[in-house]
Amino acid sequence: MNPRNFVAGALALAVLPVLAACGGGTTSLNTPPSATGSAAAAPDSTMVIGTANFSENQILGYLYADVLEAAGVKTTVKPNLGSREIIVPALQNGDIDLLPEYQGNLLLHFDPKATASDSDALQQALTAKLPQGLTILPPSAAEDADVFTVTKETATKYGLSTLADLAKHNGKLVFGGPPEVKTRQVGMVGLKDVYGVEFKGFKSLDASGPLVKGALKSGGIDMGNLFSTDVDIAKNGWVVLADPKHLIPAQRVVPLIRTDKATDTVKTALAKLNTALTTEELSKLDSLVDNDHKDPDEVATEWVKAHGLSS
Amino acid sequence: MTDLFSQLAAWLTSAGQWAGPEGIAQRLLEHVEYSLLSTLVAALIALPIGLFIGHTGRGAFLAINLSGFGRALPTVGIVTLVFLVSGLSMTPVYISLVALAIPAIVTNTYAGMAAVEADAKDAARGMGMTGLQSLWRVEIPLAAPLIMTGVRLATVQVIATATIAAYVSFGGLGRYIFDGLAQRDLTQVLGGAVLVAALAVAVDLILAGIHRILFRHRLT
Repeated sequence: MNPRNFVAGALALAVLPVLAACGGGTTSLNTPPSATGSAAAAPDSTMVIGTANFSENQILGYLYADVLEAAGVKTTVKPNLGSREIIVPALQNGDIDLLPEYQGNLLLHFDPKATASDSDALQQALTAKLPQGLTILPPSAAEDADVFTVTKETATKYGLSTLADLAKHNGKLVFGGPPEVKTRQVGMVGLKDVYGVEFKGFKSLDASGPLVKGALKSGGIDMGNLFSTDVDIAKNGWVVLADPKHLIPAQRVVPLIRTDKATDTVKTALAKLNTALTTEELSKLDSLVDNDHKDPDEVATEWVKAHGLSS
Repeated sequence: MTDLFSQLAAWLTSAGQWAGPEGIAQRLLEHVEYSLLSTLVAALIALPIGLFIGHTGRGAFLAINLSGFGRALPTVGIVTLVFLVSGLSMTPVYISLVALAIPAIVTNTYAGMAAVEADAKDAARGMGMTGLQSLWRVEIPLAAPLIMTGVRLATVQVIATATIAAYVSFGGLGRYIFDGLAQRDLTQVLGGAVLVAALAVAVDLILAGIHRILFRHRLT
């Protein structure tokens, strides 16, 4: 066989399915997500629980699964699907049915100009702003907000205690967080709008994971976007910058569910979990996974058992 | 789907997208830099190893199995692991890319050397060549096409994987894929993927061209 023809043929063969796969996948995500239109996508009674790409959200997903199983609902957990920008549309399309979410950032996802910042106002605003077919259930007592964190040395060196102090050092500091923080309100956009902060640069790393914490520790970044439940903040003596202008809204954990899946059984089971789950408990669970490297699934199951929620 | 393709075409052809410190031209340059440097370092390490075991026949079992092990290492794992030690620098990226490129070059170099007929080596000895002379004048020239194939394989693998630099905040074409995924900008993701694929194919064709020119007098 002529080698040139072979190369061309092999190329065509290799590229075609890839393009088809990309095209197929993206069209389903690209069409304006309508929660009502594709209800047929999930005909069976299994509750598909999706979770974002950080450990706490996976633990929450497994907690949901465990209490629902205890109430007799069949569940499947799809862990580590991606950022909110990916998973909320998947929920709207019916690929998943239930998501552990956080009030403030969820509202900003649907309404980037939203100003509600306390839990009750957020719950109301969310109910009003959610697309048809989606429902949020009452929030848990547990909260996990984004926090902008610096090391003690950086705080002392630049005299930083609130986010407003950052503006005094515009163009000097490097900010690190997951890539979506670059384009989010609770991130680069809001820090500039609300506090007038401009950074020397932004480093795309992960969501309160080993990369962003490692970079903060080694000085690769000056400020990191972490989660308030992260036990490493206290362990390393890092300083969480205060937010006097309420850029960061309340972020209590809240189940976001497809309305057609929110039966009374489901609501009761999740309500029981939400009462038992506090910020402190959530923080402990995070630490078991992040620092003791336990499996999120097992951690969740043990916790549900220990709190008498498994029957 | 057509919609997506027209968006992709617009993304790829807009002049603003190509210019500036975050433009495609700059990202392409970074990608080539990461890939070239990694392949070069890998070749400097892997070629002597492959030549040594090919020439002496010693350590083949160990080297081939280590190479197999190297191929099985997950690149993201290496990057994260090294990152935790080295902090925010390109070191984790280079280490993982070099580790990725070495096995292909070692195994192909060894295979090329092993395929040199014993008669040819005997003849070299018979003509009074020393071991080193036989290596340079007989074995390497005969093994060269396979060695070159190994380098080509490694280069394409490295180009495809150099997107990993974006995982730890650096540039290259992976920036578009990682940012686009996190921000759900699918045009950007697809644009990045197409550029990486195009770069890999282009470089492979160039290397294939060089291969042909170098070995045009060969029967094989």
